[in-house]
Amino acid sequence: MAPPFAAAAAAAAVASSSSYALFSASADRPLLRHQMPPSSISVRPRRRTTAASAAAESTGRALLEARDLFACVKESGEEILTGLNLTIREGEVHALMGPNGSGKSTLMKVLAGHPEYEVTAGTVIFKGENLIDMEPEERSLAGIFMSFQAPVEIPGVNNYDFLLMALNARREKKGLPALGPLQIFPIVEEKVRALDMNADILNRAVNEGFSGGERKRNEILQLSVLGADLALLDEIDSGLDVDAIEDVAKVVNGMLAPHNSVMMITHYQRLLDLIKPSYVHIMEKGKIVKTGDRSLAYYVDESGYKDIATV
Amino acid sequence: MSSPSLCAATCSTSLRLPPPILRFRRPGALASVPAARSAPAVSDDLVLRIAEQLEDSVAASSPLLDPLRSASALSLLSTRWPTRRSNEAFRFTDISYLRSLPISLPSQAPALAAPSSPYPSYIHFSDGVLTSTSGVHVSALADLPPGPARDRAAAVLAASAEFADKDLFYDFNAIGAKDVAVVHVPEGVSMADDPVHIMFSYSGNGDGSMVMSNPRVLVLAEKGAEVAIVEEHFEVGQEDGGCYWANPVMEIILEEDAKVVHSYVQRQSFEAAHTKWTVIQQSKSSKYEFVEVSIGARLNRHNLHIQQLGPETDTQLSAFHFLSQDKQIHDLHSKLILDHPRGLSNQLHKCIASSTGNAIFDGNIKVNRYAQQTDAGQETRCLLLSPKALINVKPNLQIIADDVKCTHGAAISGEHDPNALYFFQARGIDVKTAADALNFAFGAHVINKIPFKPIEKNALAQFKELLASSRQE
Repeated sequence: MAPPFAAAAAAAAVASSSSYALFSASADRPLLRHQMPPSSISVRPRRRTTAASAAAESTGRALLEARDLFACVKESGEEILTGLNLTIREGEVHALMGPNGSGKSTLMKVLAGHPEYEVTAGTVIFKGENLIDMEPEERSLAGIFMSFQAPVEIPGVNNYDFLLMALNARREKKGLPALGPLQIFPIVEEKVRALDMNADILNRAVNEGFSGGERKRNEILQLSVLGADLALLDEIDSGLDVDAIEDVAKVVNGMLAPHNSVMMITHYQRLLDLIKPSYVHIMEKGKIVKTGDRSLAYYVDESGYKDIATV
Repeated sequence: MSSPSLCAATCSTSLRLPPPILRFRRPGALASVPAARSAPAVSDDLVLRIAEQLEDSVAASSPLLDPLRSASALSLLSTRWPTRRSNEAFRFTDISYLRSLPISLPSQAPALAAPSSPYPSYIHFSDGVLTSTSGVHVSALADLPPGPARDRAAAVLAASAEFADKDLFYDFNAIGAKDVAVVHVPEGVSMADDPVHIMFSYSGNGDGSMVMSNPRVLVLAEKGAEVAIVEEHFEVGQEDGGCYWANPVMEIILEEDAKVVHSYVQRQSFEAAHTKWTVIQQSKSSKYEFVEVSIGARLNRHNLHIQQLGPETDTQLSAFHFLSQDKQIHDLHSKLILDHPRGLSNQLHKCIASSTGNAIFDGNIKVNRYAQQTDAGQETRCLLLSPKALINVKPNLQIIADDVKCTHGAAISGEHDPNALYFFQARGIDVKTAADALNFAFGAHVINKIPFKPIEKNALAQFKELLASSRQE
C-alpha cells in the first residue's frame, strides 16, 4: 500500500526521530511509520520554493508530523478531517488558510486534544511521541499551545491566579519548585506591557467581560508567559485593531527562536505581512490541498480559493 | 396591657419570678385545672415545653419588648412543631435534628472575653447573651436613654409583633430574647467604611444537651444614612464542635434614601443548629445589599424577608451555601415583596452540596399590583459534588403587575462546564486541579462580594479548607 518511494521517506522519518529514541514511546512502534503521505498530496514545499525555506526543510528537525489524519465530531460522528498530512519542523512558521468549514480550527483543536473531537485514523507524532495518546494537559506541558478562537470565560477564577497555576504546572513537570504570586509578577508585568494591555486585566476573572480584543491579547499573554515549542494560533487577528495586531505580531515574532514553531490560521494578509510564514497551506474539505510559500497567500487574497488546487 | 392569662395561678415556680406576661404549661401537667382547656386544641407539647423554658430563663427583660413577647407567646400557643408533611414552608427541610437532643439554656453570662474585632464599632453576643457593645451608634436596648432613638426602637419592636409571615422560630426568639442590640444611625450619617461588626460566638456546654440562644439585633438607618454591618456566627472554646442551637433575629429598617450593606457569615460547628430570621423593610429610594456565606452548622435554616415600603428601592442579594458534611442541611427561604413602582432587585443564590448534604432554596419574589416597572432578577446555581447530595430549589416569581421586567434562572449540575475544564487543560493544568479551582471559584464569586477584606479573607480561607477536606473523604 505504500507508495514506491516510501522506503526512502520511512528511512528519513526514522533518521529524523532517532534523536528522540531515548524518551520516545513511539520508538518501539514501527507500525506508525509505515503510514506515508499519499503521493498526490504533498505537504512539503515544492523544490522550486525559496532557498530559505528549502534550507529550513533540510536543516530543521521534525517537530510535528501528522499522517493520514482522520477526525470526527465525537457527538455526531461527522467527519471533519479526511486524511490530512502535515509536517512542521523546528523554527518554521506555517499559515493555514482555506474556506470556512474546511477544518482549519478542527485541526488545531485535534492537535491540542479538544474533547469534542475524536481521531478515527492516522497518526500524529510530536517531538517523537505519539500525540494522540496524550491528555490535553500533557500536550500543553509537552510544548503545544493553542490560542482559542473563542476564549472561554471562567467566572471567579482570577486571571493572574490562572497564569500562576499554569506556570506552576509547567515548573512541577520540570521538577522545579512552585513560584509564589509575587515572584512571577515582574515577568507577567513585562509581558502585559509588551502587549500594551491594561494591568487591570490581571485582577479580573479569566476572560469575563473582556472585549473581543482583550480576549485575544489575553491568549497571547498566556502564550508569552508560558512559552511553547509549537504555538497554534487560531485567528488571533480577528477582532483586533491594526495597532493591536502589530503588538501581537511583535510578541509572537519575539518568541520565535530556532527551535520554536508557529502555525496560524488567518483570513487576512496583514498578519502574514507581520509574521512571515515559511509555508502557506490551503485546506479544503478536511485536507491540505495545496502548499506553497507566501505568494500563495497573495494569490488567495486576489483570487480566492476557487480552483486553487489546480493552480 | 391586656395579657392573656392562661394558667399563671397554678404555677408554683413562677412565684419566684416577676409576674410574667404569659405562662406556658403543658396541658398534660395541668389536666385537672379547668383553665388548661382554654388552650387551643392545636397546641403542641414540644413547642410549649421550649416556650416555657425560654420564659423561665428570661426573668427581667425590657418592658419595650412586652408587646412583641406577648404577641409571640400567644401565637406559640396555637403553633405546632412544623413537619415536612404538615407545613409547606418546611416541605423539603427536615428539622428533626432540633428534637434529637434536650434543650438547655445558657445559665449565666459566660466569662469568656469578647473576641477581638478589627473594627472599632462592634457588638458581641456570647451564647445569645449581649455582653458588650462599642461604637457611637451602637447600644443595648436596655441602655438606650429615653429620647427619640429609644422611642423609635420601641415602635419598631412593637410593630414587629404584627409580623405576619413569622414562624415558630421567630416567636421563640421574641420570647427568649433578653435584650436587643440596637444600631441606630441618625439622619444623613454615613458610616459605610466603618462597619458595625456583630459577633455571635457560641459554645456548647458539653453535657449532651443543645444550648439554645435567641440573640436579637435591630438596625435603624434613618433618612439618607449609610451603614455597613458585618454579622458573623462562629464557635469559640470547643475543640470538637459544640452542640448548640442559635436562633437569632436581625431586623433592619431602611428609611428614605438610606443604604445598608449587610455581610453575613455563618461558620458554626457541624454539631450546631442555626435557625435565623433576617427581616428588612425598605422605604423609598433605599438600597440594601446583602451577602451571605453559610458554611457551618449541621442544620441551617435562614428566612430572609424583605418588604418594600416605597418606590425606587434597590435590593441586591447574594448567598452562597456550602455543604461539606454528611447529613448537613442548609435552607434559604427568601421572600421579597414589592408593592411600589420602579423597584430594582437582583438575587443570586449559589450552593455546593457534597457528601450526603441536602440544600434547599425557596426564593419567592412577589411583584404586586402597584409594583409597575419593577426590574427583578433571580438566579440560582447549584453544584452537586457527590452522587448522594440532594438539592431542592424552588425559585418562584409571583407577578401581578403588568409592566415589569422579571428574569429568573435555575441551573443544577453535577459537573463543571467541559469547555472551562478544557481551557485549564489546554494550559497544562490537570482536570482535578482544574475542578478544584472551579469549585473554589464557584463560591469565591459570592464571597468576594463581602466588602471588608479581613472578613472576606477569613471566609475564603475557611471555605478553601473545607473544600480540601471534603475532597479527601
